[in-house]
Amino acid sequence: MTVTSTLTEKLNLQKEKLTPDAPHLDLNDLVKAASRVIAPLWPIATFAARNPWMGFEGQTFEQTARWLKDTRDVEIYPCASLIHAAQKRGEVDEDFLEMALQRWLDVQSVDLPLGVAERFCRAALKLDELPSVLLESPELKILAEKLSALMPQNPEKHPLKPLSLCLEEQSGEKVAHALDHHMIKWCKLFLDESQAAWSLPNREEGFYRAWRRLIQYDPALSYTQRQRLKDWPQEAETALKKALSALKIPQSEMRDYLEAHLLALPGWAGMMLWRSQQSTQESSLLTEYLAVRISMEWILIKPHLPLLKQKSEEQLSLVPLIAAWIHWGDMTMEAWEKLSVLEQKARLTLARRFDETVRRRLWLEAWEQTYTDQLMKMISSKKRESDQKKRALAQFAFCIDVRSEPFRRKLEKAGPFETYGMAGFFGLPIMTCELGSKHAHSSLPVILKPQYQVKESSPEFELKSYQQRRQTVNSFGYMFKMMKQNLLASLLLPEVSGPLLCLQMLGRSLVPRSAGQMIRKLRKAWLRKPSTELSLNRENHLETELPIGFSEEEKVHFVRQALKMMGLTNHFAPLVVICGHGSHSTNNPYAAALDCGACGGASGGFNARVLAALCNLPKIREILATEGILIPEDTVFVAAEHITTLDELRFIYVPELSDAAQAAFQQIQTLLPKVSQDANAERLSQLPSLGFRSKDPRVEAQRFAEDWSEVRPEWGLARNAAFIIGHRRLTQECNLEGRVFLHSYDWQKDQDGTLLSNIIAGPVTVAQWINLQYYASTVAPHYYGSGNKATQTVTGGLGVMQGNASDLLSGLPWQSVMRSDQEVYHAPLRLLVVIQAPQEYVERLMDHDPAFHRKVQNGWLRLASIDPEGHWKIWS
Amino acid sequence: MLVLLDSLPIFSAFSVSLAVCILSAFFFLHPRVPLRFIRLHVGIITFPVLISLLALITTDASTIIGPWRLDSLAWLMVLFVLTIGLVVQRYSVRYLLGDRSYRKYFALLTFTSGSASFTWLSNDLRWLVVWWGLTLLGLLLLVSVNREWKVAGIAAIFSGRLFIISWLALLAATLWFWQATGHWQLSLMMAKDSLAQVSSWERTGINLLLVLAVIIPAAQWPFQRWLLESVVAPTPVSAVMHAGLVNAGGIMLTRFAPLFSGDIAQIFLVIISGISILLGTGIILVQVDYKRQLVGSTIAQMGFMLIQCALGAYLAAIIHLVLHGLFKATLFLQAGSAVRRYERTSRPIQLSSFLWMIVGSACGLFVAIYDWLTAPEIGYQVISALILGYALFFAWTQLVAFGAGLIGRIAGLFLLGGAVMVFIMIHAAFYALLHETVDHVVQPPALVVILIMVILLSGSALGIWFTRHRSSASFAILYLWLVRLSEPQSDSVESHPDYLARSLYWGGNRR
Repeated sequence: MTVTSTLTEKLNLQKEKLTPDAPHLDLNDLVKAASRVIAPLWPIATFAARNPWMGFEGQTFEQTARWLKDTRDVEIYPCASLIHAAQKRGEVDEDFLEMALQRWLDVQSVDLPLGVAERFCRAALKLDELPSVLLESPELKILAEKLSALMPQNPEKHPLKPLSLCLEEQSGEKVAHALDHHMIKWCKLFLDESQAAWSLPNREEGFYRAWRRLIQYDPALSYTQRQRLKDWPQEAETALKKALSALKIPQSEMRDYLEAHLLALPGWAGMMLWRSQQSTQESSLLTEYLAVRISMEWILIKPHLPLLKQKSEEQLSLVPLIAAWIHWGDMTMEAWEKLSVLEQKARLTLARRFDETVRRRLWLEAWEQTYTDQLMKMISSKKRESDQKKRALAQFAFCIDVRSEPFRRKLEKAGPFETYGMAGFFGLPIMTCELGSKHAHSSLPVILKPQYQVKESSPEFELKSYQQRRQTVNSFGYMFKMMKQNLLASLLLPEVSGPLLCLQMLGRSLVPRSAGQMIRKLRKAWLRKPSTELSLNRENHLETELPIGFSEEEKVHFVRQALKMMGLTNHFAPLVVICGHGSHSTNNPYAAALDCGACGGASGGFNARVLAALCNLPKIREILATEGILIPEDTVFVAAEHITTLDELRFIYVPELSDAAQAAFQQIQTLLPKVSQDANAERLSQLPSLGFRSKDPRVEAQRFAEDWSEVRPEWGLARNAAFIIGHRRLTQECNLEGRVFLHSYDWQKDQDGTLLSNIIAGPVTVAQWINLQYYASTVAPHYYGSGNKATQTVTGGLGVMQGNASDLLSGLPWQSVMRSDQEVYHAPLRLLVVIQAPQEYVERLMDHDPAFHRKVQNGWLRLASIDPEGHWKIWS
Repeated sequence: MLVLLDSLPIFSAFSVSLAVCILSAFFFLHPRVPLRFIRLHVGIITFPVLISLLALITTDASTIIGPWRLDSLAWLMVLFVLTIGLVVQRYSVRYLLGDRSYRKYFALLTFTSGSASFTWLSNDLRWLVVWWGLTLLGLLLLVSVNREWKVAGIAAIFSGRLFIISWLALLAATLWFWQATGHWQLSLMMAKDSLAQVSSWERTGINLLLVLAVIIPAAQWPFQRWLLESVVAPTPVSAVMHAGLVNAGGIMLTRFAPLFSGDIAQIFLVIISGISILLGTGIILVQVDYKRQLVGSTIAQMGFMLIQCALGAYLAAIIHLVLHGLFKATLFLQAGSAVRRYERTSRPIQLSSFLWMIVGSACGLFVAIYDWLTAPEIGYQVISALILGYALFFAWTQLVAFGAGLIGRIAGLFLLGGAVMVFIMIHAAFYALLHETVDHVVQPPALVVILIMVILLSGSALGIWFTRHRSSASFAILYLWLVRLSEPQSDSVESHPDYLARSLYWGGNRR
C-alpha cells in the first residue's frame, strides 16, 4: 500500500514536470514542493532535535544519499576513517559484512565468475583510495579511450546546479560564493530580533520588500549592478518569476532549480521556512527568500549570460573503473588488455555498480547489524527470572532519554525501586509559563502543537516584589547593552564595569566550580522565588489563544493516558516520583540541546510537576477508580528533576506525604547521594579528561557544569543507537551504556494496539529525529553539524555561524560528537526500534501506520521485535 | 610600610620564571609529553604573574638595568599582559581540548604574552622593536593555527600585511629618532636636551610614523579591516588580541609623551580616532553577530584611548586601556552566553519616572561641573566631564528612573553608588601607582578639544536624528554603509566549514 502511494506520488511529480505549459504556474506551490529538501530550523535557545531529511522519507536512504552527493557533494554514509575506527573498537563484525556482500552479489546479474567478482569486491571493501599515480597514468587513459567507444552512454541525468555555481566552475569567478555572502548578510540582518539597535530599515514590510527598497543603495554592489534592478518588480512572486525567466530556466526544471538554491544555505533557508510556519503574515517568506536569492543571482551573473551549455552528456569516465580493477582486482594492464571485450564490459559494469556509496552502505549495514546482534545477545542472556510481586517502595517515571538509562540502573540497584520510561513531556500538550514571565514555552515535542497553557502563580504581594527583583536583574543586563550602544556612555562602560567583570573572570578561571556556584546562588538568593501554585483548573480568559488549565474530563484523560503510557496502572508504590530532566551548563550556546528534547529544548520539570499534581487530585482518583485504575490512598505523587549534567535528582514538588510515602521519601533521600556518585563515576569516565582534580565524581561533575570554558559539559545523547519498547524486566540486568531510549510497554495491556501506535507516532519519531540529527552531524559535520565551537559566533541571538560568517548552522557542534579532532565519539547508526510484542502486533502497526512502514522500508530507521517467547525478528 | 626590594633580584627572578614558562610551553609541544602536563604548565605560568605583582607593589622609582626600564608603568603592563595570558591559557585548557593543534596553542600563547611583557619592559628601542615584532608574529601564528581552514589563513595574511606596515613604521621612527638624537635608550631620548636636538619638522615626521605604527594595531579607520577579519580566530585568541594587542598604542604614546605632546600630529590622530569612534559605534548599532559587535566596540574604545593620548591625558589612557582589556577579554570569553532566551518586558512610563529623571539630570550635571571645576587643567577634563555626566545621567535613567518598582530603584541606586565608588577607588589607585612615571596632563591646544567635542556631540546628535528618521533614504544609505564597512570580505567567508569534512575523512592522519 505504501509502495503504491509513493509510486503515485512520484508519477504525479513527473507529470508536473512533464507538462511544460501549465496554464497556471503557482510559484508558492512550487516553492512549497521544493522546500522538502530543507527542514525548518528554530532558534538555538529552544534547540530541539530536527531531522534534516524529514522531506526525503518518501525515498530510500540510499537514493537520498546519492542525490545529495550529486547535487551538493555531501556524503551521508560514514567515511572510511569512521568505519575503520569502529572496526578497531570491535563494533563491526566482518562476518556481517561478508553476508551483506553476498546478498548484494546475489541480486547482481553480472556475467562474471563468482570468485572473480567476490575477490574484487572484498578488496574494494577495504575502502582504501585508488592511488593517484595509477589514476593519472597515460596508459590507462589510452585504454579508457579505446573502450569508451564500446561502452553505452551514461544515461543518468545530471543534477541541476544553480547557474552561479556552474559559472564558478567554468570560469573560476567566485559568483556563487559572493551570492552566498550577500544572502547571509541579508538574512541575518532581517532575522535579527534583539542584537542590533538599528534594525534593518523597512523590516516590518517583509523580507523581499525591505531588500527591494534597500538594494538600490547597497554599496556592496557596483553602480551598474544596482542599475539593473531599477524596475525590478515590487512583489516577491513576480520578481521570482521574472528572475527565473531571465535566467531561462524552463518550467519543467524550475522546481529542481529552486531546490538547488535552497540547498546552498540550508540553515538560513530553514530558518525562513520555520518563520513562515509561525504566522500567517509571513507565510510566503520562503518565496521571498528565493525571490531575493535568484534576483541577486541574476544581477551577479548578468554580464556572463547566456552561459555555455553545461556538458549535459558528460561521459562517465572509464579511468577510475579500470583503475579499480587493476588495483583491487589485482591485475596488470597487460592482463586487462588480454581480456575479451565482453569480459571487460562485465568487469566495468561490476565496478560501476559497486561504487563508493554501495561499499559504504554495506559497511554501515554491517555495523548496524553488529550492534543489533550484540544487543540481542545481551538481552537474551540476561533474563530476569523472578517476577517481583512484592510492592516496591517507590516508583520512578523517567523520560525515555538515553541518559535516564544509567541513572535508572543505579537507582534500581540501590533499593526496592521500580522505574518506568515515557516521553518526558508526559503526554501533556502544554505551553508553560513561569512565574512572572510573559514568555510562554511550548513544552512538548516540536511535532505537536500545544493545546493548553499552564501558569505558575503565587499570592499578589509576593508576586509583585518577586517581579521587581526579577526585573531588576534583567534591567542590569539591559542597561549594560544600552550603554554599549550609546556613543558617549559606551566610552565609560569599560571603566565602570571592568573591575566587576575582571573579578568574575579571575573567579571563573581560578576556581571555576565555586565561582560558578556562587554566582548561581547569589542570583537565587536575590530572586527568592516564592512558592507557586499551578493553574490546573480551567480559567476562561479571552486574551490568550489557548485555554488555561484543564477541565475535569481533560484532567482524567491526561492522567489516564500518562499512567497507561508508562504502564503503571496497578501495584502502586506509596511514593511515585515523576522525573523530568534538564541540564546545567555555563557559557554554552547549545545548552538547550542538552535539555529535554520532548519538551521543546527545555527542562521537563514543569511538565513533571503538572502531572504529579494532577495525579494527586482526589477527584481524579475517584473517577479513575471507576475505570479500574486504583490508586491507593497512601500513594503520593511527587515531581523531581533529573539534572543530567550532575546526575542528581532534585525534588521540585513534594505535597504533604502519607506515612508510607514519607518513609519511602526518606529512604530515597539517604540513598540518592550514592546513586548520584555511581552514575557520575560511570558517565565521567567517558568524558575526555586531563586527570581529575577531585576524588568525588560529584564534585568533578559540578566542575563540568560550572566551568565557563567547558565545551563538553556532558555527552548529551551522543552514541544513541536503539529504542526499546517493552517491559523494564527485559533490560533490567543489562548495562545498555546510555545508548538506548527505554519506553515502558506491556502488550498484554494493549489489546487493540493503540498504545503502541501512540508510542510509535510520538516518542519514536522524536527519538528518530534526535538519532538522525546526531547521525547527520557526525557523517557530514560541515554541512549538517554546527562546526567548531571555538570559532563560532552567535548571530542575532538566534543561531550560530562559523568564523566571519557562514550558513546558519543547524546541527550539533563538532565537539558534541567528536572526542577530539582525531577521534570520533558518536557512532552514526540509524535508530534500531525494538518492540516487545507478538508479531501480529507489529504487523497490525505497520498496516495502520503507513508513515512508519515507509520509514522502516526506506531505511530511515530499523525495526526488530521480541515475541513473548523471547525470539527476535528483524523487520528491516 | 612596604619593604622596598631591590629591582635587580626581582627582575632576575621574573626573567627566570618567564624563561621557565616558555621552556615548559615548548616542552609540552613534544607529542610524548602527556596532555595532563598542561595543568602543571598553568601552574608554572602563574609565577611570573605573581612576581610582576610583587614588583609593581614594591617599585617606587624608575630603575634602568641594561636595556630594561623597570618602573611602575612597565610592571603594570607586564602584570596586565601576563594576567590576560594566564586567564586565556587556563580557559583554553578545557575550551580547546581535543583540538589537533592543542599543544601549539599553549606554546604560542606563552610566547606571545612573554614577548609582549618584554616589549613593555624595554628601554632600548631596538629591543622594543624586536620584541614587539615577535608579539605581532606570535599573534599572527595564533590566528592561523588551523592550517586546514582556508579562511583563517586568508585573515592571517591580511592582518600580517598591515602588521608589517605598522612594524616598519615603528622601526623607521626609531631609526629616525636615533639619527636625530644619537641615543637608543628611550629614557635618554626623552630627556629635554636630546629632544631639543630634534627639529620641529623631524619631530612631526617621527610623530606621524608613530601614529601610523599605533593606529594599525588599534584597528583605527582606515585600517579597521584586519580586526574585523580576525573574527575567524578561536575565541581565546580573540580575547588575547582585543585585550593585549590592540591597546599597544596607548602605552607607546605614553612612553613617547614628551616628543608627542604639543605636536601637530595630535590633530591628525584626533581626526582619525574621532572617525573611528563614530565608525565603531555605528558597527555596534547595525551588526547582529555578537563577536562582530565586540570588534566594533573595540574600535571605538581604542579611538577613545588614542584621543586621551592626543589630549595629553596619558594616565587616563592607561587606566582606560587596562580596564578595557579586562572588560573585553571577559566579554569574549563569555561570548557563548549571547543567546537570547527571553524577550524583554516593556515597562510603563509613569509620572514618577519623570521626576526621577529630573533628579538624574541634576546629578549628572552636578558631577560634570564638579569634575570640570576641580581639575586643574581644562583640556581633557571637558571631555571627561561631558562623558561622565552623560553616562551617569544615562545609567540613572535606565536603572533608577525606569527601575522596577521600589526594589528596582533601590538596587539601581546601590549599583550606581557602588560603581561610582569603585570608579573613584580604581582611579585613585592608578594615580597612586603611576603618577610618578606617567607624564602629567599637558595642556592640549584648544582647537583639539573643540574638535573632539564637535565630533562626539555631532555624532550623538546624528545618531538621535537617524533613529527618528528611519524611513529616510539617508538612513538607508548610512545603514548599508555601516554594514558594508563591518562585513568581512567575501574571501574570508565560507558558507560551510568544509575543512571539518576533510578532517573527518583523513581521520587525523594528515597534518
